[in-house]
Amino acid sequence: MATLLTLKRRIKTASNVSKTTKAMQMIAASKLKKAQEAAESSKPYVEKLDFLSKAIEQKIDKDNLNPYMTAKNDIKTKLFIVISPDKGLCGGMVTNLIREILRLTNNEKAYYITVGKKAEKLVASLNKEIVASFPFGTTLPPFKTVFPITKIIDEYFLGNKVSQVLIISTKFNSVFSQEPFSNTILPVKLEENLGQNNSKTLFEPDVNLLLPDLLQHYLEMVIYQSFLDSFASEQASRMIAMKNATDNALDIIEELRLEYNKTRQEKITNELLDIGGSSQVAYE
Amino acid sequence: MKLFLEIITPTKVVLSEEVDELTIPTAEGEISVLPNHVNLLTKITPGEMIIRKGNKSDLFAVTGGFLEISNNKVSLLADYAIHADDIEIAKVEEAKERAQKAMKEKLTEDDFRVANAELAKSLLQLKVARKRKVRV
Repeated sequence: MATLLTLKRRIKTASNVSKTTKAMQMIAASKLKKAQEAAESSKPYVEKLDFLSKAIEQKIDKDNLNPYMTAKNDIKTKLFIVISPDKGLCGGMVTNLIREILRLTNNEKAYYITVGKKAEKLVASLNKEIVASFPFGTTLPPFKTVFPITKIIDEYFLGNKVSQVLIISTKFNSVFSQEPFSNTILPVKLEENLGQNNSKTLFEPDVNLLLPDLLQHYLEMVIYQSFLDSFASEQASRMIAMKNATDNALDIIEELRLEYNKTRQEKITNELLDIGGSSQVAYE
Repeated sequence: MKLFLEIITPTKVVLSEEVDELTIPTAEGEISVLPNHVNLLTKITPGEMIIRKGNKSDLFAVTGGFLEISNNKVSLLADYAIHADDIEIAKVEEAKERAQKAMKEKLTEDDFRVANAELAKSLLQLKVARKRKVRV
């Protein structure tokens, strides 16, 4: 049976843990509000941009495609952009992300751009080539973090080093549901039928001048949206994980407290019995 | 017949309603859009945008983006858009000074670009806000 002293120590430890997890939960909750707002408010923009880019593609000459849209069948190499949090302690998020990465990884040669320490560690342990690695940070990522990434993508994709660019990140569905997802961002897929009418559309300036700008912007926004999604997911799953941890710690404290009280009571009873016993002896 | 206008920025949907006329600066010069305009896709440049509803007109400051007109539906994808009434002059002045100060310091190329864009944005807002004052 545990002694009173060890029980006391264990209660103390559990209550310290619960304090830490409670604090982390509260920090995550406050960050989540901002993150959720950012992730959700940019969604209509990205969706519209996505629609626009795909609609414009139907109206252009199929022989004269933008380099971003050309499929390269002779090259097999892929470029992955993996977005993960820097820090752990956020429930199953990192594990789920890792599972998704492993699912997509095979023995073929591939390049990786990692954002976040967790992704960097994993890809490094797989012995894959990391082209560049960026920290994710613990605050809402600013838009300019996208530029170095698009620069590398341009270099690899337009330089004919890779045939596809994929992004692996975590999608923020709601506070209680986040799922890993992967998305091919380049080449931009041509969608044959969007149900658009074939009425004539005017382009100002020329479509060949407009399209590169539009696609460039599209690329930046898609990547940034993944950043925001990942950040919101991280905060949400950390908040939930820490809430569970706090609840568990409180449960443990309650159990230990009960055991402590019982032990203490037992000890007192024993002492009383001892005293009673010894005084009986003295009386006789 | 009216135009259905949607102004969408990365941070929020600024406006989504029916209007009669839209005047906006594009890469090819300022254009006015009336109902039954031909379908159009164009790039917009930073400047002031005027939306007319009946006799009432609203002034907006917009920075670059794209404009799509498709069957009387107008979608404006702007990096930033704000109604002239919502511009807070004091705040914008502050942002302007901050950007100017940042540009004087030695900066990396990226930071300089960001500061420059910030400065352009605040100057534009000040211009639109002043114009708004004159009109009232």
